Amino acid sequence: MATLTSTFTQHRRMLTRAAALAAVVLLILWLAPILGGQRSYRLVQSLVTGLLVGGIYALIALGIVIINKASGVFNFAHGWLMLLGGLLFFSFFSTANVSPAAAVGLPLIAGAMVFSTNGWRSLAARRSLIGVGGVTLVGAALLLLPGNDWQFIRAIAGAVIGGVLVGMVVERFAIRPLIGQPLFAMVLMTLAASELLHGVTQLTWGSVEIPLQVFTGLPNLGIPAQIRFGEDLFERAVNIRADLLVAFLLALAAFAIFVAFFQFTSAGLSMRATAENQKLAQSVGLRVRTILAIAWAIAALLATAAGVLQGGASSLSLNMPFLALRAFPAVLLGGLESVGGALVGGIVIGLVQEMSNLLFPGTEAGTELAPYLVLMVVLVIRPDGLFGQKRIERI
Amino acid sequence: MSANIRPSGVFDVRYEQDISLNRTRGDKLLSSGLFLLLLLLPLLTVQGPFGVNLLPQLWIGTIIRIAIFAIAVQGLNILIGYTGQISLGHAAFMAVGAYSSAIFVRELGMSFWVALPLAAVFTGVVGLIFGLPSLRVKGFYLAMASLAAQFIIPWLLRYPLEPLTNGSRPLEVPVPALFGISFAHENAMYYIIIPLAVFMMLAARNIIRTRVGRAFISIRDNDLAAELLGINVFAYKLQAFFLSALYAGVAGALMAFESNSISRDSFLLDRSVELLAMLVIGGAGYPLGPLFGVGFVNLLTQNVIPSLIPPLNDVLPRLLPFINPVNIFAALSPLLFGLALVIFLIAAPRGLAHRWEIFKISWKIRPYAN
Amino acid sequence: MRKLILLVVLLLVAVTPALAQEELPEFIQHSECAVDLTGQTVTIYHFGDISGSYAFITQPLLAGLTDAMAYFNARGGICGATIAADNRDTGGDQAQTQAHYDYYSTLDPKPAAILLYASGDAELLREQLAEDEILAMISAGSVAGLYGEDGMSNGWIYATNPLYADQIGSFCRYVGANAAQFPENPTIGYISWPGAFGEAAYTPETIAYCAAQGVTILESPEYFLPSATDISGNVLNLVDAGANILYTNSLASGPFMVAKTVVDLGLEEDVVLAGVNWALDTSVGLLSRTALGSDGLPAVNGIIGSLPFRWWTERAEPGIALINEQAAANARSLSAQNIAYLLGWGAVDTYIELYIQTVNRVGSLEAATGAETRATLDAMQYAPLGLYSIDYSGGAIRALPDNRIATMMFLNATGDGPATSGDDAMKVDLPDGTVAYIPILVPLTGFEAAPDLRPGGADVP
Repeated sequence: MATLTSTFTQHRRMLTRAAALAAVVLLILWLAPILGGQRSYRLVQSLVTGLLVGGIYALIALGIVIINKASGVFNFAHGWLMLLGGLLFFSFFSTANVSPAAAVGLPLIAGAMVFSTNGWRSLAARRSLIGVGGVTLVGAALLLLPGNDWQFIRAIAGAVIGGVLVGMVVERFAIRPLIGQPLFAMVLMTLAASELLHGVTQLTWGSVEIPLQVFTGLPNLGIPAQIRFGEDLFERAVNIRADLLVAFLLALAAFAIFVAFFQFTSAGLSMRATAENQKLAQSVGLRVRTILAIAWAIAALLATAAGVLQGGASSLSLNMPFLALRAFPAVLLGGLESVGGALVGGIVIGLVQEMSNLLFPGTEAGTELAPYLVLMVVLVIRPDGLFGQKRIERI
Repeated sequence: MSANIRPSGVFDVRYEQDISLNRTRGDKLLSSGLFLLLLLLPLLTVQGPFGVNLLPQLWIGTIIRIAIFAIAVQGLNILIGYTGQISLGHAAFMAVGAYSSAIFVRELGMSFWVALPLAAVFTGVVGLIFGLPSLRVKGFYLAMASLAAQFIIPWLLRYPLEPLTNGSRPLEVPVPALFGISFAHENAMYYIIIPLAVFMMLAARNIIRTRVGRAFISIRDNDLAAELLGINVFAYKLQAFFLSALYAGVAGALMAFESNSISRDSFLLDRSVELLAMLVIGGAGYPLGPLFGVGFVNLLTQNVIPSLIPPLNDVLPRLLPFINPVNIFAALSPLLFGLALVIFLIAAPRGLAHRWEIFKISWKIRPYAN
Repeated sequence: MRKLILLVVLLLVAVTPALAQEELPEFIQHSECAVDLTGQTVTIYHFGDISGSYAFITQPLLAGLTDAMAYFNARGGICGATIAADNRDTGGDQAQTQAHYDYYSTLDPKPAAILLYASGDAELLREQLAEDEILAMISAGSVAGLYGEDGMSNGWIYATNPLYADQIGSFCRYVGANAAQFPENPTIGYISWPGAFGEAAYTPETIAYCAAQGVTILESPEYFLPSATDISGNVLNLVDAGANILYTNSLASGPFMVAKTVVDLGLEEDVVLAGVNWALDTSVGLLSRTALGSDGLPAVNGIIGSLPFRWWTERAEPGIALINEQAAANARSLSAQNIAYLLGWGAVDTYIELYIQTVNRVGSLEAATGAETRATLDAMQYAPLGLYSIDYSGGAIRALPDNRIATMMFLNATGDGPATSGDDAMKVDLPDGTVAYIPILVPLTGFEAAPDLRPGGADVP
């Protein structure tokens, strides 16, 4: 054993490269004939669907990456943040008259959380009080918009405020007390948080299976529910689901916003600095707590967006959190800290999933096997992912 | 460490004394007495040979379940608590143990007594395979490799191995027998499972005290330093993966033969998470941690939460009038379990076993304890 | 704000005897009580997935149980004994199922009967129930759960609906008999959720039986997760392989996703939707309001499946009329007015008759053990509220064979028949602010025995 492993360590680079090359050649030799036997419209359809489904995965992966980037915590509770966000959106979307207590209370608490990220005492400062008041006023005004004409604005406001609140509460009461604890305690804490979020969801909304009617308005905007193309080219028409297309475009937009955020804003830059070294960041005067809280709030917002889009594309149900599990390979493929990587990773996993569904019918290979095989391969060949920072401690 | 602390006036004068597990006569009496008592329990139930109703039958099933899970969590403890490698796929290895032992018996006609160790070793080898990425990655990345195992193994059991495993349908497992004695009743299975569990716990405790165990701990505490000291980190990590999976395999096989039926659904990700929670609550890196953790979680999910639900179900609708009472019943068990976990992680991150050690020390060094 | 719903707890029932006793209506014909059980309690033990994937169905079941218990308790209970409930949540986790079962099976006195829900739970507990001599009642089951791995061993689990395998058999028989309504060379693509329930109807026996009816079942079934975003790949795999009927053994979002995908892909003309009795549920109709077909009606319009019990709309049945009246009195929402609520009532009424007959024979509640109760059930002939007819042929079978084929349609604006288009459909405002189309089930056949398709069953070719 010992000699074997030492030979291995000596020629590690060469050996792994040879193995990787051989694996790729074998894979191509194996898949090419199966791929060649497919009908053209199916190939195109699977590519299109994979790309669009990948958009949802990318949006989920982005949320996980943001938290990991800022605080080094891999968030297993992301799926429940999605469902909770989606349900918050639904509640404000479908309630024509929000009760004034909720409309004032929700932004008030959210505002208090936002302005006390550095400690409860900072709430006493006049600046914070004005801030909280402002948030409450604007929030309450938006939430109290009556009727169905304003339902989208009301729902977005409610989901944003609620999402920020949930993200910050999780960070403040579950993650922050654990700073300095070993990694698996953090992992377990996010798992505990998901149990709690499950309880809160069930307490508030019950055992739900809600069709979220966000996309039923699309035809009114002149966007057909499905876009069909390539009838003559591919023997049968290829279909693009408009709801998934919207989700995909939103994921792209979110990606662009976050790249800009991390490159050009001071909050983004300090977040990167914090991720690099928390103590150092603190010593140069960055407010690490605030930055962590911001990261969680942003991630919760992204989760909310993903939850709303997935809820519109299928339904809001207690099964939704499991979807986030399938975004994990995407996160790792792209690189744990890479915003761009999350997008690419999500799309690749979406494509891998749909292509495996096509090539190996009746085996669930697409959802249950292929993403995790990709994950294993990434871990062995390129553990830092496609775009991750190369700072994994080698062994 | 408490292990080195003796009660006042007790000294080791020989090497045997220094390395013995039971350091004082009191310890020895206590541990063998406890073991004997444990073995007596099934005789006191209504379905025991004397038919006396001194102990509820539920206890036997509960103790068996605790013992099986304690073995599984002990495996996780070797990997996480001592070697410092995270695993999110422990339930999948339990599935390997359960299915392989059942298949050995069903297809190859082996006896349970041969199938159990074989299945354990086989599971260990499978664990080794999924430990291979530890060559290149560690920490969180390794956790992801085990997460992959948690999906890939059930998939393999479901599709390619369907002729052997019955796919997603349950697989019936024959009843073990020895010299014509059938172990169909749980009171009989008890006498297989409990001694084995005690043996596995003691074995784990001893492994940790050997060269291998010390190497594990050195890897956990500082792998670079361990490597510089001449410890082959990779080889020892693989050994930890092997041992950890072996324990999971034993637990899985026992589970299969205890319930005489296995279903793929009992070995999914939520089970892995539960095992992890048990370890953290019990105390990772303590030999008794798994036992504490399994016992506590069992108490929580089977006794505390069900008994809290009816009163809370009565009170909460009045406290929170805006909540639909129909939702409360279903919400309470995830809420209470999550809450217990959060409290543990924040207030006692080193687990119950740590508290127990503190208690033991203060007892031993009385009257000098504060 | 809709009225709040009360949930079952042991304590709750204690108040009911104080209320004035009312008479049971004529049509409920329980056996005469030979023993007065006043002051005693009969507990309905139930565990199911209240917080996991199947919670959407289990909550209405609990609602049905609660309402039925309150109704019957106010009218004398079981010969004076109060009916109570003990519900436990498994969260869809088999270890929880096992633990809750251990708790129930070691209670003193041991329960004579428990109420189950999930096929997976039934398969897990099958052997243990037999060992502990506890009777279990389930609404519908898989072959493995009811008859064991070989399909020939009658266990202690009794289903009130035909086996899932027998249900797909009924459907194939219907297709064979009404070939004109279906595409030429009817070919079923089996698409469902993975797991004991979802895969229960795909067996060698059903494939052989359907083939004998002139219906092919494709060899590679497709399984998708309840959390899937898009299942067009699965549907196209089947359609490409020649499927012109899609059969699903799933519930709630399962049939809805299949129907939505068929509409999305423009396959409405080419593919017929079909499914298990759970696919013809109110929940499926309500979910489908986000996916409308080209006719403007929800995509699941026209799905064909089993309807082995009376349905909400059959109000000429006094039992159905009573349940409708009680659901309204208890302010049950539209989504709670589904299969599970009906079956909850049926289960309670069955319990009452079962206990009356057993106690009459054995003399006291204490003597009514699992074995005695089972003996009663084996010989019992009873139609709980007229919903379905219990007759286990002297113990020869474990699932009731009566089945009929029905289709889901949507009510028209005038409320006197099915809608022909979206404009014609009746839409109602739901409390959540959305608009729903009201699903109605139209029986296509009368009740007849479903084929017996367990391994070695009478109808296996």
